[in-house]
Amino acid sequence: MAAPSAPPALAAIEAPRPGCIGDRVLRNEDARFLAGHGEYLADLDIPGTREIAFLRSPVAHARIRSIDMPPGAEGRVFLLKDLGDIHPVRAVLTTPGFRGSDYPALAADTVRFVGEPIAICLGATRAAAEDLAQEIVVDFDELPPVVEIEQALDPASPSLHGWPDNICFVSTPGGGEVDAAAKAAAVTVTREFRMARQCVVSLEGRGVLAYWDRRLQELVVYSSTQQPHVIRTVLAKLIGVPEHQLRVVAPDVGGGFGVKNNLQQEEVAIAALARRLKFPIRWVEDRREHLIASPQAREHRVRLTAHADARGKILGLEAEAVVNAGAYSIWPWSAAMEANMVAGILTGPYAIDAYKGRGVTVVSNKAPLGPYRGVGRPSACFTLERLVDEIAAKVGREPHELRIDNMVRPEQMPYRTVTGKLFDSGDYAESVRQVAAMIDVPAVRARQARQNGTGPRRIGLGFASYTEQTAHGTDEWIARGLTEVFGYETATVRFTPDGKLIIEAAIQNHGQGLETTLAQVAAQELGVDPADVVVRHGDTAVSPYGMGTFASRSMVMAGGAVGRASRQLGEKVKRIAAHLLQVKPADVTLANNCAVAGARSVPLKSVTDAAFLHPENLPAGEDPCLDETTTFQPLSGTGAFAYATHAVVVEVDTGTGLVEILDYAVAHDCGTMVNPMIVEGQVQGGVAQGIGNALLEESPYDSGGQPLASTFADYLVPGAPEVPTVRIAHLETPSPFTAYGIKGMGEGGAIAAPAAILNAVNDALRPLGVELNETPITPKRILTALHDARTERAR
Amino acid sequence: MKVSFTLNGDPITADVEPRTSLADLVRGEHRCTSVHLGCEHGVCGACTVLIDGKIARSCITLAVSLDGAMVTTLEGLADDALMARLREAFRTHHGLQCGYCTPGMLITAHDLIRRKGALAEAELRQGLAGNICRCTGYAGIVAAVAAAMDEHETTKSAASIAAE
Repeated sequence: MAAPSAPPALAAIEAPRPGCIGDRVLRNEDARFLAGHGEYLADLDIPGTREIAFLRSPVAHARIRSIDMPPGAEGRVFLLKDLGDIHPVRAVLTTPGFRGSDYPALAADTVRFVGEPIAICLGATRAAAEDLAQEIVVDFDELPPVVEIEQALDPASPSLHGWPDNICFVSTPGGGEVDAAAKAAAVTVTREFRMARQCVVSLEGRGVLAYWDRRLQELVVYSSTQQPHVIRTVLAKLIGVPEHQLRVVAPDVGGGFGVKNNLQQEEVAIAALARRLKFPIRWVEDRREHLIASPQAREHRVRLTAHADARGKILGLEAEAVVNAGAYSIWPWSAAMEANMVAGILTGPYAIDAYKGRGVTVVSNKAPLGPYRGVGRPSACFTLERLVDEIAAKVGREPHELRIDNMVRPEQMPYRTVTGKLFDSGDYAESVRQVAAMIDVPAVRARQARQNGTGPRRIGLGFASYTEQTAHGTDEWIARGLTEVFGYETATVRFTPDGKLIIEAAIQNHGQGLETTLAQVAAQELGVDPADVVVRHGDTAVSPYGMGTFASRSMVMAGGAVGRASRQLGEKVKRIAAHLLQVKPADVTLANNCAVAGARSVPLKSVTDAAFLHPENLPAGEDPCLDETTTFQPLSGTGAFAYATHAVVVEVDTGTGLVEILDYAVAHDCGTMVNPMIVEGQVQGGVAQGIGNALLEESPYDSGGQPLASTFADYLVPGAPEVPTVRIAHLETPSPFTAYGIKGMGEGGAIAAPAAILNAVNDALRPLGVELNETPITPKRILTALHDARTERAR
Repeated sequence: MKVSFTLNGDPITADVEPRTSLADLVRGEHRCTSVHLGCEHGVCGACTVLIDGKIARSCITLAVSLDGAMVTTLEGLADDALMARLREAFRTHHGLQCGYCTPGMLITAHDLIRRKGALAEAELRQGLAGNICRCTGYAGIVAAVAAAMDEHETTKSAASIAAE
């Protein structure tokens, strides 16, 4: 275990104070967004900016024979050779056996997916740049494409990267005696599950604007990214501009969900070109580009076998997860992230001692795969939780009771799973009990008995439980073999001479409410009004180094850093205040913008005035100024585990194949909540994306490797009528490993919804002989399954 | 091509290509950047504006078609009482996260309340179905619009009682 920098020493909160940790504080960032004054990448107004259209490959797999430039292309069209001496992206794991490949910023010799960028075209407007791109003629020598998982696994298929086959990596996590479990089992259940390839769909697409700043002698790269510091580090290596001459800024970012949590080829190409030009250049991703060429998600095929006793207690699991990672390995996660995660967490929240897993990553001529809310977990949860329901059906028990029996118990915490994860705290079974009470299982069963079979509409009930590893630190990223280790987060907390507070954080806030919740942490420690606190983030020039916002880490990591920095700064404030009040520092507390000692108090403004403008008023030996920078790492390098159980009641129309969600309840535990309003918003938003995953969202390709969903008419995301308001119960077990006991929770809502909804639909249709194990369950898939079941029965 | 119309109360004349969308025109030289582009094919609703008092997708409206029209973006509703109520309700009910869909959502909600008055939740959700939000899962938005709607109806009936 890597040693954390220091114990958090920031205890869980007993009773929330107004404006501090635990309070439903309304958001500081809302005012500018509600006025329409958010400043997103496309809104930046820098004089002389020229707009970019990328010429992208229209074919899935081909060698480029030649590229013919139109008249007037000089200085307006740029190929890889025009970008100077830059390195291709090579995203590898340090784990032995990982097969690496180069991903060039622009394709020069070979294209490997539809949408791969080939040339940068410039124009005064995007339309003019697109006109130019249309005039370029590329002569392609088309190669046979590798599209679906089965093709990618076939050794006879053409190899994309010159490897012996198209298998990038195989992981084999597990432990315990699976063969013994199989022998002892009364019941063995095997199923194959598929989760479709999805697009991430942040409502704002990706985008990059870059220029050379002549005064500061630095390359400025604005990017709609979740991790500006890390992007600076890797860009510097790839394009040869040292980090101290490179500034990366994320302005307001219109949603991320993981798709802006990668190094983007467009960032590399644009940054490399901008250092050679005398004017700013900007690319704003349009929706078609987003749907076909941005990093996509999921596309898993998982075979899972469970061995259980006659009561359904799971004795052992065997799994093979194959993930179609697309054409290239994305930095920094690598192509193997999804398969490795699915195979590594398939035992879920259950105490399962025997597990044999295999995670297989294959490459294909599709867009590269990247992280999307939940990463491998929605698929792992879907697979395991579907199978739990099938075990329950086989042994004749209520699915939620089977879950309770199999779960890790509170007295087993902290609990090391068979794949090495350390569950930190909580009562997993209690989340099942609470959500079962909320959804009222007996009432739903009674309604089913009344309604099902009397008409085309059938009721179903589904549960799904999960654990969500959050704020994973040093140990986890090393174990995953990443070339960079995202083990900590950093913050500077500084007062201004007039008594106000500025937090400078290395995370990036794009909807999570961190401009409010980090202010609440500072309010907790320093007694300031959170509405007055300015949180600056997303800019390598305004904060110390840090890793960014992903993996449900920002509240734990940056919250911990702000807490530690504020605590230390508060000690100095108390010393100065004690001097001004002529009391002992230990007698001073900070509240309501004042330093208080008994009946005496001094406004913080007087303390900051002394600290910045009147050093003659400071205690002997005290340095002027009031600012503090600290880092934070959780005490466990595998992070804090949030968990939840979701329950959903659906009505399936067997005539139309439509699924309506009648009720949705969640009982979850993310430890200490900094702001319950924001927590509920994250749960609700995650569930909405999970509903899309379960019922609507799919990015299919034809046999030639052409993506078939390139508009919002083909790629459906949930709207207001499709998403019910979720009822939420909070369990609050503080993590022993983090500041204030906070656990991350940003992804959780999305993890369990596909599993819970598929379980509910299967519960509704099981008596008809239907079983659905593939997402999304579109009306067509449901009707086909019903038809097949009828045909089967007729035989 | 020359086109003249009223943008947020100010007369403007622009020389545009026939293909120029209303969204590109008002975002560009007029800096009405509350108009967000989420799909540019008329589905997501982030670019929603008012044209002659009716909601419209500015991404698929050609600027040249607007001669003599009255165009209002969120910037033009800064002093509108109902919009102020909606903004407050969106904040109170956590009806926004990243903020990208928010201007379009506010304009649609404003239109819904003015045209329809009191609506049941299912109808309200149908009324918002043309605006995609990827962050919130709509619960906060629906609660905010319902609250603003209730308040608006109360004010209206109070005003009509006062008028009698």
